[in-house]
Amino acid sequence: MHTLSLVWEDLWKITVASLILGAGLPALFAVGIRSLAYGTGGDAEEHGAGIAPAPHPIGRALAGLCFAIVLLVVGLGIVLIVASGFGQELSFDSIYPTIQDK
Amino acid sequence: MTTATVLLVLVVVVALAFDFTNGFHDTANAMATSIATGALTPRVAVVLCGVLNLVGAFLSVEVALTVTNAVVKIQTSDGLPRPELLTGGGSDLLLIVLAGLIGGITWNLLTWLLGLPSSSSHALFGGLIGATLAGLGTSGVNWNGDGSKIDGVIGKVVLPALMSPFIAGLVAALGTWLVYRITAGVAARFTEKGFRWGQIGSASLVSLAHGTNDAQKTMGVITLGLIASGHWTDTENIPFWVKASCAIAIAAGTSLGGWRIIRTLGKGLVEITPPQGLAAEGASGAVILISSHLGLPLSTTHVATGSILGSGVGRPGAVVRWPVAVRMVAAWLITLPAAGLVGALTWYVADLLGGGLLGALVITGFLVAVSTAMFLHSRKAPVHPGNVNAEWDGANPDDPALPAVQALQTEQHLPA
Repeated sequence: MHTLSLVWEDLWKITVASLILGAGLPALFAVGIRSLAYGTGGDAEEHGAGIAPAPHPIGRALAGLCFAIVLLVVGLGIVLIVASGFGQELSFDSIYPTIQDK
Repeated sequence: MTTATVLLVLVVVVALAFDFTNGFHDTANAMATSIATGALTPRVAVVLCGVLNLVGAFLSVEVALTVTNAVVKIQTSDGLPRPELLTGGGSDLLLIVLAGLIGGITWNLLTWLLGLPSSSSHALFGGLIGATLAGLGTSGVNWNGDGSKIDGVIGKVVLPALMSPFIAGLVAALGTWLVYRITAGVAARFTEKGFRWGQIGSASLVSLAHGTNDAQKTMGVITLGLIASGHWTDTENIPFWVKASCAIAIAAGTSLGGWRIIRTLGKGLVEITPPQGLAAEGASGAVILISSHLGLPLSTTHVATGSILGSGVGRPGAVVRWPVAVRMVAAWLITLPAAGLVGALTWYVADLLGGGLLGALVITGFLVAVSTAMFLHSRKAPVHPGNVNAEWDGANPDDPALPAVQALQTEQHLPA
């Protein structure tokens, strides 16, 4: 049963981290899409006949921000794969990510 | 050439063949959703996946020499073969590895024929466990480690496999639900276009992660064979040609595309829309990367299937074909014992024939015969880029979908 608790210890960490990144990033991407639609206006949003919503530049800016954050995190994910392949690891000890020896 | 040298050549060739099946078996994990939603055309998807697997395999320079230690005791903890197995120029160890690989390939091909995604790592481990049980008895298997850390068949293979689809499914279901809540009120045509890009990005990440995780295992097995037969001594590095050939084998397999499995995962399990595809691949990518980062790598196949299923649960009104899921889970449960059985039987046959050259040639011949038979059988109802996305319910009489799939629809009583 000891193994069970050891595995469980790892699995719940994996679950929490995956929920934050694996569900959070798609949700953030969705916020980006929604903002972009708000920014684009017109037929990008569902609307009644003849009253097309006006475009809102702020929506486009917000969309850009969302997509940038998603890309940044995915980029860090790739750095993580590459770094661990070369015997390095990604550390968040100094808030911003740094690469160091394992 | 000595017996051990011939055995080594067989092990290398069969290991690369396993790596190749590993590739086409797992293309679906990354690309099934993108192919199903049309975000990528089938050909482009598998080639992209293959290229990223190739890159991933080269990036995994971390020594994977102790790969078999998780399940069997044929190596010491620093990666050297156990000295008692090195009689006869290492042929005892080589025969166990060869029989294990044959068990893994046979099961991979059978599940591919049935269009079922099953874990290639489980097939490899199952084959090795079976061959070791036959060759060394129960004490040769690392069932549970020494209890101080996660180790052994139970800790590293069985328990994670039982849990990983649920974790991935939960993440994907939550992601899908959030995505649909957030984009409510946005025109469908607009969201689809945006989400296709997200899908391509997340699927690419899964492909890359797959290359880094899976190609390593074959590299480790081949290097173990080289050390056992005295052709390599360094336990810190693997020969470059081993890395290159494994990377090419897995990438070639991936680019071939396991269309039967892609069809089941992309069309059979759930009707996938681009937002679901993004949520599913995002969840898979996160779970795979985080779990290998934390030192408990989960099977890509189990994670990807759980995610796709979860994305169906999370979208209100989505069709989830539970009987398909049940068939998959059944295949997962028998992967270890089935591959193990083939591994054990082939080892016994080789041993009966003297445990040397003749035995090894006969079991390799058996593998070639079985593979050819399954390939020919698959030609009777081929799945290819042209029909991989055909409607699952078989309403189209020209749909050459799998007979197995059609049998399933009868079970489900789906309206045509």
